[in-house]
Amino acid sequence: MATAACEFASPGRPSGTTAGAVASRWGTSPVFTPAHASAGEAVREFFGVRPDARQPFDFSHQIHLSKGAFCTDCHAGVEVGPVAGIPSVNTCMICHSQIATERPLIQALTALQEKGLDLDWKRVYGWVPQAHVRFDHAPHVRAKVECSTCHGDLAEQSVAERVVDMNMSFCVNCHKARQASNDCLTCHY
Amino acid sequence: MDRRNFIKLTAITGTSAALTACGNPEHQIIRFIPEEDLVPGVAVWKPSICPLCDAGCGVIARVMEGEAEVFRNGQPGVIRMGLVKKLEGNPDDPISQGKLCARGQAAVQVTYHPDRLANPMKRVGERGSGQFAAITWDEAIAELVGRMDALAAANDHAALALLTRPRRGRRLELLATWLERFGARRAVGFELFSDDVLRHANGMSFGTTQVPTLDLERTRYLISFGADFLGTWNSAVAQSLAYGRMRQGQGGLRPKFVHIEPRMSLTAANADEFVAIRPGTEGVLALGLAHVIVASGLRPATAAGRAGGSVDGWASGLADYTPDQVEQRTGVSAARVERLAKEFATYGPAVALVAGAALAHTNGMFHAVAVNALNALVGSVDQPGGVLFTPQVSAPPATRPLGEILAAGAVPKVLLLDAVNPVFASPASWKVRETLLGVPFIASFGSFIDETSVLADLIVPDHSFLESWVEAAPESGSVRAVPVAAGPAMRPLYDTRSTPDVLIDVSRRLAKPLSPALPNTFEEMLAEGASKDAPLQPPPPDPPIAYADPHFDGDAAEYPFHFLPYASQSFLDGSLAHLPWLQELPDPLTTGMWCSWVEINAQTAEKAGIHLGDVVEIRSAHGSVRAPALLSPGIAPDAIAMPVGQGHTTFTRYASGRGANPIAILAPVVEPATGQLAWSATRVAITRVGGPDDSLIMFAGATRERPEGTHGR
Repeated sequence: MATAACEFASPGRPSGTTAGAVASRWGTSPVFTPAHASAGEAVREFFGVRPDARQPFDFSHQIHLSKGAFCTDCHAGVEVGPVAGIPSVNTCMICHSQIATERPLIQALTALQEKGLDLDWKRVYGWVPQAHVRFDHAPHVRAKVECSTCHGDLAEQSVAERVVDMNMSFCVNCHKARQASNDCLTCHY
Repeated sequence: MDRRNFIKLTAITGTSAALTACGNPEHQIIRFIPEEDLVPGVAVWKPSICPLCDAGCGVIARVMEGEAEVFRNGQPGVIRMGLVKKLEGNPDDPISQGKLCARGQAAVQVTYHPDRLANPMKRVGERGSGQFAAITWDEAIAELVGRMDALAAANDHAALALLTRPRRGRRLELLATWLERFGARRAVGFELFSDDVLRHANGMSFGTTQVPTLDLERTRYLISFGADFLGTWNSAVAQSLAYGRMRQGQGGLRPKFVHIEPRMSLTAANADEFVAIRPGTEGVLALGLAHVIVASGLRPATAAGRAGGSVDGWASGLADYTPDQVEQRTGVSAARVERLAKEFATYGPAVALVAGAALAHTNGMFHAVAVNALNALVGSVDQPGGVLFTPQVSAPPATRPLGEILAAGAVPKVLLLDAVNPVFASPASWKVRETLLGVPFIASFGSFIDETSVLADLIVPDHSFLESWVEAAPESGSVRAVPVAAGPAMRPLYDTRSTPDVLIDVSRRLAKPLSPALPNTFEEMLAEGASKDAPLQPPPPDPPIAYADPHFDGDAAEYPFHFLPYASQSFLDGSLAHLPWLQELPDPLTTGMWCSWVEINAQTAEKAGIHLGDVVEIRSAHGSVRAPALLSPGIAPDAIAMPVGQGHTTFTRYASGRGANPIAILAPVVEPATGQLAWSATRVAITRVGGPDDSLIMFAGATRERPEGTHGR
C-alpha cells in the first residue's frame, strides 16, 4: 500500500514521449485533476494540516531590515494587490549582483539564476480553504496597519516564523478597534 | 481535535497513515525563475480570438499569476507565470459582443489538456501505432527541410501537399504564399460541415460567394430551412444574441419563427412553428411559398431579379409548385403552404435561411437557390431585417478539395497536416486512412494525436491559441468586416512553436530559400495589416437549376430509414471531443453526455421492440455502427438521427473509445457542383442487438454512468 502510494506521489513524466498513452502528467490520477500535486497533499488539505514552512535556506529578515531594506522592496505586491508575493531569485539579484558577491550563499544564488532556476520559498501564513477567508493586503496597508501587527517584528526574526496566531478573534478585535467593517462578507465570500 | 476532524479521521484512518508516510514530493520539483513580473492576486484581461469554429469570436482571457508545470530546456519543473484562467466574450468585439458559447468557454482546456503534445517528436513504432520519441526542434526542422529539398532536387515540387481547415485569415494567406513560392499546388481544404454549397448558390443568386450575415434583430418573420443558426451554423453567438433581441419584440409585435427540418433540433425547439418535412425537399417548399406569393399577386416574380433567374421555371410562375403538388412532394399540407406564404409575404421584414442538413443532399444546390429566390422575392436581401453580405477586405486564398490528393496517382510524397482530421470526419468508403498510409512522409502541426496525426512521421506541435499570435477574418456575424488579430495571452507552457513561424523558418533554411522571402515572423506579417490586393470577384453566371429528386444511397426496401447525422452542440464535427467540459455538457435536447446515441421515433421504436438504452445497430450499405437507442417524439417516423463527434479511436484519454462515429458509415455521395459530401443522403436499416449496456449516459432520467470498468462504454 505504502509503495503504491509513493508511486502516485512522484512527479509526472513528459507526456510527449509516450504519445497517446494514458499517463497523467500530474501523476496522481487517471483523470485530469490539477487540484493536488500528490495524494499526500490531498490528504493534508482534507485535514486542514499546514506543515511548518521549511525554507530552502535560512534567509535572515533581520539582516536585510537592519541594512535599511523595506518590506515592500521584495514583497512588491503588498501595496497594489491582495497577495504580498514571494520574491524570485531575480529580485535577490537586483541588489546581490553588486552586494556581498563574495559570500558562498550569494554565489550559489547567482549560479541558480544563471541556470534559470528559482528558490522554492514556502508560504508562512495562510488559511485552510474551508475557512473561506479572502484577505487583501492592499487595503490594510492603505489603512496604515503595520506589517508587524500580523507578521510580528521581522527585525527580531531571522527566518520568518508564524509568531502571530491569526484566528478570527484576532482579526475581529482589530477591525473593532479601528472601526473597520465586521460584516461576515467583508472577509468570507 | 474537533468533531468534524474526528469524523474525517475515522473515515479514512488506514489510507491517510499510508499516504502521509510518503513525505512531501512537491518539495522536490524543480522551480524555474519567472520570466515576467505580475502582481499576485490581481487579474488582467487580455484579448484573444476563439479558434474553435469559423465564427472568429473575439474573446478576453483572464490572466492571473499561478504555478504551472512546464518544460524548459527539456526539463520538467514548476514556474510562477501568468496563466489564462477563464475566457469570456470581448465586449468590444462586434461578433461576440461580450458573449461566448459553451464551446468557446471550454476552449481554455485546449491549453491545459493533459494529453497536449509538449515537444517535437518522430515516429519510432510502426505507422499508426502511436509510438513517438522526443527530438529537438533543430532535428525536426532539419527533417522538414531535408524532405522539401529532396522534392526540389527531383523537381517534384507538386508532390508537396498541405491539408488544412480553410479558415479565412492571414494564416491561410501565409500557407498559400508559402506553397506557391515553393512551387506546390494550392492547400487542400477539408471541412466536414462546410458551407461550400451555400457559398456557390449565393454566387449564383447574388453574385457573392459568401455565407450571409443575418440581421435578425429587425426581422419580424423568420423561416429557417434546416439552418441550426442558434447552435452550430455560421456565427452562432452573434445570431443567438440577435435572435434574443428579435424575440423581445418590436413595437408591440412578437416576431414569428418557423423552422423546417425532418428532425427536432435545438433551433427547431425554439421555433413557434416546427414543420417536419420529407428529407431532400426543402427547396420545393420554398418554391411552393414563392408560387403562392406570386400567384396571389403579393409580389411580382420579377422582384427576385438575378436570384429568380437562377431557378428553372421562375419566370413562368413556377407552374410545377402549386400547393397541392408541394404537399405531395414534401408532406407539408397545401393549406399550410398557403398560410405560410401569405404570412411570409405580409409580415415583413421577413427572411428565410437555409443551411445544414437541407444542403447536404445531392440536390442541395437547388434548395439553396430556391430559398435565395424566395428571399429576393420579398426583398429581404441587403435590407434591414434580412440577410446581407458583409463586405470583405480581401478574397480568401482558394483551396482544393480533399478528393484531389486521394485519387490514384495524385497522392503526395510529402504531406503536411495542419490540425485537421479527415480520417475521422470522412466516410470510411473514402479510404482516407488507407491512402495516407501510402504517403511516404507526413508531418503534423496539430497539438493532439488524433486519427490522422497518429499516422504522421514527424510531429511539430503548434502553440495553443492563447500562447501565440492569432487572427481571424470572419466573413459574417457583423455588418462590418472585422479582421482581428491578438497577441499571446500567456507564455508557452511547453517546447512548442507557432506553426506559421516554423514554416517561415523552413522557407529560409531550404537549399534554395523561398523567394521573394516571407516576412520574418507571423507577427510581422500581421503588423502589415490585411492585404487588400485581392477583392472578392463575382463568379460567372450559371444556368438556372431545376428540381431533381434527391438521390439516397441504399435500397429503400433493404434500408428503410433516412440517416440524419448532425453536428453535435458540443463537438461540432468531432474536433472538440477531447475537451472534458464539452463531454460533460448535456445535449440541450436529449441531455446525453459522454456518449453516442441513436434518435429514433418513439412509435417506430415501439413497433421494432426497441426501448430506451437498448443497443441498436445502424447498418448502411457501407458499414455499421452500434449505439444505444434514445426514443424521441421529435423525429420523422422514417428517419434516424445521430450526433457526430464521438467514436474516436485515437483522440486523447477523454474521447478515445467512447461512442460511435456515424460519419464512417455514410455513403460516398456528393453534391455534384461542389464535391461536398452529401451527409444526409444515406439510407440505413436498424436492428436491436441487445438490452441496455449502460453506455447511454443522460443528465436527465435514470440512466447514469457507472464506475469505471463496470459500464460498457
